[in-house]
Amino acid sequence: MLVLDRVTLRFGGLVALDEVSFTVTPGSLHALIGPNGAGKSSCFNVISGLYRPTSGAVRLGEQNLLELRPHRLAGLGIGRAFQNTALSTHSTVLDNVLLGRHTLTRGGFIACSLRWTRREEKRHAARAREICDFLGIGAAVDQPLGSLPYGVTKKVDIARALAVEPNLLLLDEPAAGLNTEETAELAATIGQIRTDLGIAILLVEHDMDLVMGIADQVTVLDFGRVIADGTPGDVQTDPDVIKAYLGATT
Amino acid sequence: MSKLLWIPVAVVLLALPLYLDASWLKAGQYMMIGAVGAIGLTLLSGQAGQLSLAHGFFLLVGATSYSVLSGTDDDLVGLGLNPLLALIGAVAISALAGVAFAPVAGRVRGIYLGVASLALVFLGLYLGQAAGSLTGGTSTGRAPATFELFGFSFSNEGTLIVAGVPLRGTERLWYLFLILLALSYWLAKGAVGTRIGRSWRAVRDNEAAATAMGVDVRRTKAGVFAVSSAYAGLAGVMIVLWFDILKPDENEFGTYGINTSIAFLAMAIIGGLGSIPGAVAGAVVVYGLPQLLTLYSTDLGWFTGSVTPVLVSSFVYGAAIVLVVLFEPGGLAAIGRRIKELRS
Repeated sequence: MLVLDRVTLRFGGLVALDEVSFTVTPGSLHALIGPNGAGKSSCFNVISGLYRPTSGAVRLGEQNLLELRPHRLAGLGIGRAFQNTALSTHSTVLDNVLLGRHTLTRGGFIACSLRWTRREEKRHAARAREICDFLGIGAAVDQPLGSLPYGVTKKVDIARALAVEPNLLLLDEPAAGLNTEETAELAATIGQIRTDLGIAILLVEHDMDLVMGIADQVTVLDFGRVIADGTPGDVQTDPDVIKAYLGATT
Repeated sequence: MSKLLWIPVAVVLLALPLYLDASWLKAGQYMMIGAVGAIGLTLLSGQAGQLSLAHGFFLLVGATSYSVLSGTDDDLVGLGLNPLLALIGAVAISALAGVAFAPVAGRVRGIYLGVASLALVFLGLYLGQAAGSLTGGTSTGRAPATFELFGFSFSNEGTLIVAGVPLRGTERLWYLFLILLALSYWLAKGAVGTRIGRSWRAVRDNEAAATAMGVDVRRTKAGVFAVSSAYAGLAGVMIVLWFDILKPDENEFGTYGINTSIAFLAMAIIGGLGSIPGAVAGAVVVYGLPQLLTLYSTDLGWFTGSVTPVLVSSFVYGAAIVLVVLFEPGGLAAIGRRIKELRS
């Protein structure tokens, strides 16, 4: 269970997040939405440890995430996919996905160069292939990433996050840069991850159609504050949300 | 390269000392020294994306460490260790020197890191001259202990005849260098293909993503500096064995100077950054050319006055870098891959 407790983030005089609190319950698909500049990405970066909030707390279970250096989060079972698919373009799909196994494996230069980890590598490569098959990119596993269409690389990014074996998956605007057809396919994939793997997903997105179709719980941010928190149905009819998205109607 | 192709390559390399005379073998050994150092730099700059111009300094660290650890001179500091232990110790000390640079490497990136690392070359220049009791000083230098492996001396000592050819110091050193290069190559290949190599590439391509996947970026950078410096240190040990003397540089251009750092970077770039076979090919171009031109200098008759083989080959590899950057950023490795694709 991921809990944000009155998280405030200031950049000088600018308040990016203002006492933001919400809870992602295990196994749920939680969406974080809001108009441009609402603080979605800031909130996301606080959770993944890239920004340190001015005040407030972020907890995963009993663990206060703010006490840890950011690279420790993967070991706690938090997988993250990036908005701009931060992958190694020269490496193969498999190599990229295997990076997600980093915290689940051991071995530095000496162990690796002497091939002591060979058997372990094989085992993890098999698991990485399985994850790729699950996401429908099994055929591209041995291809260099640079040769693949954007829609496929998005899935590679998600596959890498899943390779961490997370119980919480953070997805940062996965639909950015995708066409309608690809977005629909992505929505199906996200739904499948939730139902088949039973992991909680925190989805940051501004594509309302995508969110409303699949989310269990929606938190709406505007100007750094939570203006609504509830099921998609509740949120859609909330007057504050309509105002934030469509502008004030008097 | 396919596994079968290694057999003829190995046979040729093993048979060469039976046919070539010592001056050619010396040239080949020099290329092997370059190859070992270049493999280390291509891991650091190519795989992990950390620009370094400090390779010359780590060469000096390795060279000095070997001379001190194995040295038996009365008037200089020397521990008189077994040469094999001294070699291993020199590699370990070089790796530690690389780790000591990590606080800087963790703070600056790209060209700034390159310039910061360049400072080490000047530190080496100063230390080489100031610590005369270790290095022997610029005027005389110090002779390194002859390398020995389980009582077998890599010098002209004793007689060893194979296929009617006496194997003297130069021939023996050829085999030693061949073993060291093969080991360096094999270890680097193993590292690049597995967990540690992936963490290097992740740090190179996107630090935020690397962090999110659990890679400790600071530690990874320190580690790859250690590995790269260890390779440079080994190349440094090889270079004192090759010259049969450790002689610190008198100015910033020399065996352990800026020009050496740049030559290693040239090898890595010409070979294709990050490629291990490429680094070896780059070393053959960058370190082989001056050697071959020197061997042919009288036949060619080009070299008069200030036009030396070293100068001419600097121009050639300078031009090669420009050509690589303009036309084939993947270097010789990419050209090799393309030939392979055409054939299949």
